[in-house]
Amino acid sequence: MNQRRLHHFATMTLMLSAAIVAFASVAQAQTVVLENGKIIPVNGEPIEKGSVLIKNGRIEAVGESVDAPFDAKVIDCEGKVIFPGMIDAHTWRGLDVPNESPGVTPFLNVYDAIDPSQLFFEDSLRDGVLSIHVSPGNNTIIDGMTRVVHPIGLTPEQMTTAPDVAMKLSVTPKTGYDRMRQMAEFREAFRKLDEEMGQLAEKKYEDKLREDEKDLSVPPDEAREKGKELIEPKDIPDKNRNLLMLSQGKLRNFIYCGAAMDVPAAIRTAKQFGFLDQSVLVLGSETFKAVDALKEAGRPVVLDGNLVHTEADALTGEEEETFVPKVIDDAGLKFALQRQWGSTLGERYLWYQAARCVREGVSRDHALKSITLWPAEMLGLGDRLGSLEKGKDANVLVLSGDPLDMTTWVELGFVQGEKVYDKAEDIRLNRLFAAPEDELGPSTAPVSEPVEEGHTEVHKGEYQEPKTDQ
Amino acid sequence: MNAYVRRSWVAGMLIASLMLTAIAQASVPADGDAAARPKVAIKAAKIITMDVDDTVINNGVMLIADGKIVAVGKQSKVEIPEGFDVIDHGDGWILPGLVDCHNHIAGSLFDLNDGVYLTNPGLRTVDVVTPRNENLENCLSGGITSVLLIPGSGNNMSGFGTTTKTFGNSTDEMVIKAPGSLKIAQAGNPERYWYRVGRRFMNWNLRQTLEKAKLYHDGWTAYQKGEIPEPPTFDIVWSDFRDLFDGQFPVSVHTQIYQVYMTTITMLRDHFGLDVVTDHSTFDSYKLASLIKERDMYAIVGPRVFHFDRRDRTINGCAARFAEQGIKRLGINTDAPVIPQEDLPYQATMACWYGWNDHYAAIKGITRIPAESLGIIDRVGSLEAGKDADFGLWTGSPIDPRSVCKKTFVDGRIAYDVEVKRRTR
Repeated sequence: MNQRRLHHFATMTLMLSAAIVAFASVAQAQTVVLENGKIIPVNGEPIEKGSVLIKNGRIEAVGESVDAPFDAKVIDCEGKVIFPGMIDAHTWRGLDVPNESPGVTPFLNVYDAIDPSQLFFEDSLRDGVLSIHVSPGNNTIIDGMTRVVHPIGLTPEQMTTAPDVAMKLSVTPKTGYDRMRQMAEFREAFRKLDEEMGQLAEKKYEDKLREDEKDLSVPPDEAREKGKELIEPKDIPDKNRNLLMLSQGKLRNFIYCGAAMDVPAAIRTAKQFGFLDQSVLVLGSETFKAVDALKEAGRPVVLDGNLVHTEADALTGEEEETFVPKVIDDAGLKFALQRQWGSTLGERYLWYQAARCVREGVSRDHALKSITLWPAEMLGLGDRLGSLEKGKDANVLVLSGDPLDMTTWVELGFVQGEKVYDKAEDIRLNRLFAAPEDELGPSTAPVSEPVEEGHTEVHKGEYQEPKTDQ
Repeated sequence: MNAYVRRSWVAGMLIASLMLTAIAQASVPADGDAAARPKVAIKAAKIITMDVDDTVINNGVMLIADGKIVAVGKQSKVEIPEGFDVIDHGDGWILPGLVDCHNHIAGSLFDLNDGVYLTNPGLRTVDVVTPRNENLENCLSGGITSVLLIPGSGNNMSGFGTTTKTFGNSTDEMVIKAPGSLKIAQAGNPERYWYRVGRRFMNWNLRQTLEKAKLYHDGWTAYQKGEIPEPPTFDIVWSDFRDLFDGQFPVSVHTQIYQVYMTTITMLRDHFGLDVVTDHSTFDSYKLASLIKERDMYAIVGPRVFHFDRRDRTINGCAARFAEQGIKRLGINTDAPVIPQEDLPYQATMACWYGWNDHYAAIKGITRIPAESLGIIDRVGSLEAGKDADFGLWTGSPIDPRSVCKKTFVDGRIAYDVEVKRRTR
């Protein structure tokens, strides 16, 4: 085996063993002290020189000094920045296809399609995105359940930070539908749910009467009303369970609004079916025009990866550009930024998206929160993720510099207290930076394969199904 | 019926009748005749028994009578009784009949996928077993004597497979076990279903089907144990699944790339507790070898035996990668007709070419391992007294491409003889 092949083989086994080692030992996570670093906790003032104590997978203490147990592993972070793991608030990446053919599928779950072997996860880890909200795409009506994962592990079970976090909906028409049809599908789904739950209640009530040997001649309405409380969780058919939770206002939901005109529709629908209190609006770039409606609803929003909306005047052809996050921020709404995966530019990094916000006048505080604490809160994980605070999951990054600085790299990454990334051991990244005179020669391997948003085949060409296979 | 359909139907009938004529004229002796199952003693320089102790007998002799193996041992120790014809195989080897746990050619080749629904419980390949078809005649020349005939992978669940001999005059005579497996295809080909589906939908759908079957099974089990007074209503479709959940036969799963392979393990093995044969352990599935090892599962490699990893720019022998991570229950298949059935040993050859250095294990991977994985090791897959007399007389190691299988015996009868009709292999 020549040097080059040996190297490639080493890469593969490293990636593999990294994944295995990381999760074999989660149960016995080490006690770690990150000391002498600049701490940016996000929820409070930075500490110029301080320490973070990680114990049992959680952050035990943050401060200028911490009481470290004698057996803790101490890592010197002199000159480094300690920052919470960044959070991708909404992406379909990690799945095989964004959406399924049927439009109303509240019973589906991203669990069934998350592919831990996708380079997307490895890239996310390298880029410091330690929590990813994997959600169905936007081409849907009532889609299934989402999941928050960390980008390391052999199976979705090992990767799960929080299962069944939310349900994905879209008021913007699915391909082949118009807006009236789209909304009719919503009404029909909930009407059907009502009817089926009513029938179930009626049956339960009649069963009870029969059991008690009582007269069965009860009007249907009364039976439905009285039978409601007899329904046990196990009686609810799988296909209705999630939708029922949604209609009871017990399920977080992410609603896609592609255009400004979809915003009022989304708010009206969520209100009508009783789940607005749990809604997060996923916005297309044009929706800033509906900022008043958004402000009135007061729900958090996930912004499009394309931060600048460009529109040409119909008469003069003159282009007008709007920096969307600024409009949203000025309206006082909490927002989360998304990565722009179609782009080969910096937009595919969360930190870069946040840095652009600062450039366009959003405060640094808000820009940092939009990639950490705010998405955590939107996902209902505000008590676990998004900042460096005692008691939170130890999803921590050690950065080589300020998170918004273009020369900064992730040096260490911890997920639930376990070191899962070390730049020194990132063979693919080191290979990218290898000097041309290095004996291995220049890299010919693509670091990743960019895929356009909305494209149905992830990693096109990566997996070729055998054509003649039966 | 339009003109085109009618024409093709007539053409089909013509071909079918020609084929029937051909079968009737085949020269192999008919069954039922006592002379067709003679008492034979075969001497050979090497007998690879593939028994649990991995016994290899040099200068051995094997006695067969009434279609079963009577004795296997050294020529110096086993006496040849009166009435046994002696075949001296000289420097040759005797190998157990090879076993392929992924086959589509023992049937009609046309009845593979029912494309209306994504899951098709209730279908069985035992209905399409076609004795002595041309492909089977070829396959005997490669020393293959038992196969799992399964439906295609165009649906998530395409029906129940059949473990069958490759030689015999009737389905009843050939079949070892029916159902021999439940065929599931988790992704890949079913994605080409007319109604475009992704893995979220397919896995949900498949799980629903199996949940229903399990509910039925659990209901009957509870009734039989006396836990509930009334039996569930009989259902001909779900009743097929009772033996599956009782562990009488495995699910054979078309599963190959990482995510799909992983789902096979987590859904079918962990969630449903089924006996799983991962049938296409190819592409990058070897990256999940640790999960296979933890659960002591079988990994059957093929039809592709190597994988080019685009990210790491490495060529990986799939079997070699599994083996080096400690997988012992490692087998090879052909997915015939994807790889011609007679090339099963050649598949093992290529697995070795791509780095599987244990050549004995490779032979085991086409004999004992597939037989174990399908639960038919009590009858085939090794040469031991009491087992079916299914074996091949080879000129040398079956995975050496220079070797020839000179005679193939099935149930003690000569099913293929190079002297009578030489086939391509």
